[in-house]
Amino acid sequence: MVCRRYTNKAAEPWPENATLYQPLKEDQILLSDCASSLAVQAYLRMCGLPVQVFCRANAEYMSPSGKIPFIHVGNQVVSELGPIVQFTKAKGHSLSDGLDDVQRAEMKAYMELVNNMLLTAELYIQWCDDSTATEISRPRYSSPYSWPLNKILAYQKQWEVRRKMNAIGWGGKTLEQVYEDVSQCCQALSQRLGTQSYFFNKQPTELDALVFGHLFTILTTRLTSTELAERVKSYSNLLSFCRRIEQTYFEDKSS
Amino acid sequence: MGTVHAKSLDPLPMHGRDLDVHPEDFMETPDQGQDSKQEILENKDVVVQHVNIQGLGRTKEDLLGYEISDVFHAKNLIDVMKRAHVARQRLLRLGIFKDVEVLIDTSEGTDALPNGLDVTFEVTEVKRLTGSYNTMVGNNEGSMVLGLKLPNMLGRAEKLTFQFSYGTKETSYGLSFFKPQPGHFERNLTLNMYKVTGQFPWSSLKETDRGVSAELNFPLGVTNHTLKWEGVWRELGCLARSASFAVREESGHSLKSALSHTVSVDSRNSAIFPSRGALLRINQELAGYTGGDASFLKEDFELQLNRRLFWDSVLSASLWGGMLYPIGGQASCIADRFYLGGPTSVRGFGMYSIGPQSEGDYLGGEAYWAGGLHLYTPLPFRPGKGGFGDLFRTHFFLNAGNLCNLSYGDGPRAHLQKLAECIRWSYGAGIVLRLGNIARLELNYCVPMGVQSGDSMHGNWKLAEGRQRRESGGSRGRCSWNWKDS
Repeated sequence: MVCRRYTNKAAEPWPENATLYQPLKEDQILLSDCASSLAVQAYLRMCGLPVQVFCRANAEYMSPSGKIPFIHVGNQVVSELGPIVQFTKAKGHSLSDGLDDVQRAEMKAYMELVNNMLLTAELYIQWCDDSTATEISRPRYSSPYSWPLNKILAYQKQWEVRRKMNAIGWGGKTLEQVYEDVSQCCQALSQRLGTQSYFFNKQPTELDALVFGHLFTILTTRLTSTELAERVKSYSNLLSFCRRIEQTYFEDKSS
Repeated sequence: MGTVHAKSLDPLPMHGRDLDVHPEDFMETPDQGQDSKQEILENKDVVVQHVNIQGLGRTKEDLLGYEISDVFHAKNLIDVMKRAHVARQRLLRLGIFKDVEVLIDTSEGTDALPNGLDVTFEVTEVKRLTGSYNTMVGNNEGSMVLGLKLPNMLGRAEKLTFQFSYGTKETSYGLSFFKPQPGHFERNLTLNMYKVTGQFPWSSLKETDRGVSAELNFPLGVTNHTLKWEGVWRELGCLARSASFAVREESGHSLKSALSHTVSVDSRNSAIFPSRGALLRINQELAGYTGGDASFLKEDFELQLNRRLFWDSVLSASLWGGMLYPIGGQASCIADRFYLGGPTSVRGFGMYSIGPQSEGDYLGGEAYWAGGLHLYTPLPFRPGKGGFGDLFRTHFFLNAGNLCNLSYGDGPRAHLQKLAECIRWSYGAGIVLRLGNIARLELNYCVPMGVQSGDSMHGNWKLAEGRQRRESGGSRGRCSWNWKDS
């Protein structure tokens, strides 16, 4: 009898030295990137997978897709929450296994909503609002570089984001309209959450991680105006949701 | 070679002080008349009264005064011819004339001396705008190169050149302005602006450089000096998804603002197949003190000695090395480090594939040395002698080298020890073909020795092309904008 052994590479266990890369926390990282990074960190903590966070000035350029955060696990590099969820699923860790098909479709729809509304609004406020761009975004984005490279990179990024906003139809919106969109998104999330602890049953899913990442960052990031944070604060169940997740999964984290 | 005409409108002999000159003396005679003719010509005192330049359009006259002033000091006819020839060469080297002809004539006019001469340079200026179009194929890509040149733009031998290269893999372009000092052509200033992309498969790295530079060249005695400031915006990226993480960590943007100084002494008689002479070049670069992110001190040198031996064979010994010292505690960048290996340094090893590496990607090193001993001989039985066969040589070679990183906490003794251990070396023989004056093609049989784990070699037979070294040997792998003078 010949016995053959096939190893499923993807089922290799999660190593101890997995790392997550994001831009420099104190001086460089912007609202949208911080939110995405926090969402991934929350997701990995919910899965019980240890990961060490490294801050690098060139994290955005290190990432294979150009978006942060990305994780370095074994010798594989995966970026953004969606692919990371797929990656951990292949390794046998998943938060949404207990959901049926309808719930899974609903979860995907809400994640799309957060990405299309909240993330886009964050990008808009950072780069299309002149006062925020001038006072916060451009100085922070270009802080690791020296003159004149810092100016070139900051304006290049701003031009790129504005072009993308125009392409998806947000170029013509005013700041007030964007705040309205954020409010509507928060209302939809608040209604779905209701009085539950998490969005689906008693267990957190990737949707919880994503919503937590964005809302917590909005609440704790200082911008030129507090309007955005105020809009989120008006939904008390979302506030307590954020606090709950912070206490459950990040109690050792100093804010 | 041009022609020098000695012309006179008067029938010989000339009148005046110098009598006893017979016409027969100036006619072509067989050899026995040569010596007496030479003596007569040399003894005949002349005074150069006027030197004219005809055919000038946009060239400013004050520029040319320096080149031709020497002709006035000629004392006799042979001297006039020699100095006029030298002046012609000097005018041609400015690069602003297509052709220069020299006319020596007796002087005329009211102030004409009886032994006075007029020397006239008849010049043809080059066109205002010249263009060139080439296609290049190589390294799995093809590209089209368009060049535009404006020689003698403002009348004092300035030159503006624009070169644009569009290829399947990359696009590069550059603008260059060259200005010599009037009267001292070897002292010149060059301003460059360029964008160059390069792909380095041995490191799985691609690099885009956008930069400006200002370069001052001047001779000092037998040495040639170059002072250069360069500001480059470098963008590094992974060439493939499978690049190692060490290379991925280097991705991103950085700004280098560096001052460099090069001194070189070159007494070789050829750049590709020198048969005698020596070359010594020392280069240093200091980055970080004029702005920018990169901060380091880099030194490298090249030494080459050539000596002709018996039977037309040439022994050539070369040594080069360098060191990179990062300043301010930050690690060195992959774009600044040295690389070693390949047909121009240590044959038998893959291109730039010696030294520190990570998952198959070569990261370069902060210190290196390499040496080579070559014996060039003409082809056996000398086929095609005097013609095509002269472009070929056989060569026997011995190459050695080492590349490593240094931890600057240790002393120089530890550094020397580190460079001396794990030496890679190779020996072999092959045939070399000279391509023009800029490159050589080699077919070698090579045996690599001293291979360390991680180095990459290729099979024993190798056909390779090597360009004349312009930058320092080890770090040539990085992007550099080299102007090919047409």
